[in-house]
Amino acid sequence: MSSNYPPTGWVKVLLAYHKFSGSWAWVLHRITGLALTGYIMLHIIALMSLQKGKEAFDSEMLLFRTPLFLFLEWFLFAFLLFHALNGIRIALVDLAEGARYHKKLYYAVVIIGLLLFFGMGYIMFTQDTLHSVASVK
Amino acid sequence: MQVTFRIQKYNPETDTTPYYKEFVVDGVDETWRVLDVLEKIKGSMDGTLTYRRSCAHGVCGSDGMRINGRNRLACSILLKDLNYRNVVTLEPLPSMPVIKDLVVDLSDFYKKYELVKPYLITKTNPPEAERLQSNEDAEKLFESAKCILCACCSTSCPSLWTNENYLGPAALLKAYRFTFDTRDEAPEERLDIVDTQDGIWRCHTIFNCIEACPKEINITWHISQLKKALVNREI
Repeated sequence: MSSNYPPTGWVKVLLAYHKFSGSWAWVLHRITGLALTGYIMLHIIALMSLQKGKEAFDSEMLLFRTPLFLFLEWFLFAFLLFHALNGIRIALVDLAEGARYHKKLYYAVVIIGLLLFFGMGYIMFTQDTLHSVASVK
Repeated sequence: MQVTFRIQKYNPETDTTPYYKEFVVDGVDETWRVLDVLEKIKGSMDGTLTYRRSCAHGVCGSDGMRINGRNRLACSILLKDLNYRNVVTLEPLPSMPVIKDLVVDLSDFYKKYELVKPYLITKTNPPEAERLQSNEDAEKLFESAKCILCACCSTSCPSLWTNENYLGPAALLKAYRFTFDTRDEAPEERLDIVDTQDGIWRCHTIFNCIEACPKEINITWHISQLKKALVNREI
């Protein structure tokens, strides 16, 4: 076949084709994987303030404890959760008999993920994290 | 009862790109198969409509097509299995070159099928009677042997959409069927063929193949057995 494979372009085909639980898991695994790679780079850049001394670092940490960044961090946790739990699902599919119950595994990933996500939200937003920011200020 | 079919049409002699044509078909019943509606359209509305069909009973695997966005056999899907009160969309199997309307060129699909040596290879002389196989060993092959080569699985695979050299689920399923046959005497040869850059490791367990298979074969499970065999031979 030639360079115009597939004839209609794979992105178009992917968007048009019906999505099942397995397709969603595959797409989300790639999105969360790329996002986490991007986050690691941001994380290293943010740590560069350590070179500018204690005060520069502390003021930056204050910024990260503001409600907006706490909220973003909560979603970072969601991305990590999905990628980690789905990673276990993929290992069970490839190395155990997971292909026989892949849909149940997917729903387990979603349910366990949501429980841990809201559990973490409860811990993050009801503990005195926000108050401690005020006290530092 | 009335149903509206939206069918992708393409005639390489007159059209530059595929287009959709709508057919409002009267006098159908929800127990009709998609293929029955196609026959009615071809017989009384548009004689140029082109599709493959042969046995019309889900055995030959000729009429694989994309029905409402997913690969299925037109002869195995009833209107009541679909949301037929809305428009039913029919398109050719994705990612294969379209020859005309719903007919695609499957040469590449068959080439990959032949690559995995889909036949028993023996090196020893045959015994006086047949080469025996126990019932238990035969049962391990029953599910994979149900494949009718309709290409619904391979053309539903995103890994194949992005890499035309990937063997695809159908070829890998055949590789399982013969590699795990106790009468086969060259399983290593076949494992070497699938253990390549465009072989089994391109399977990212997306499970589109299982959803597409009209014979309800759990193709990904069979691929995972091959993966395990390959890992085991390395350790």
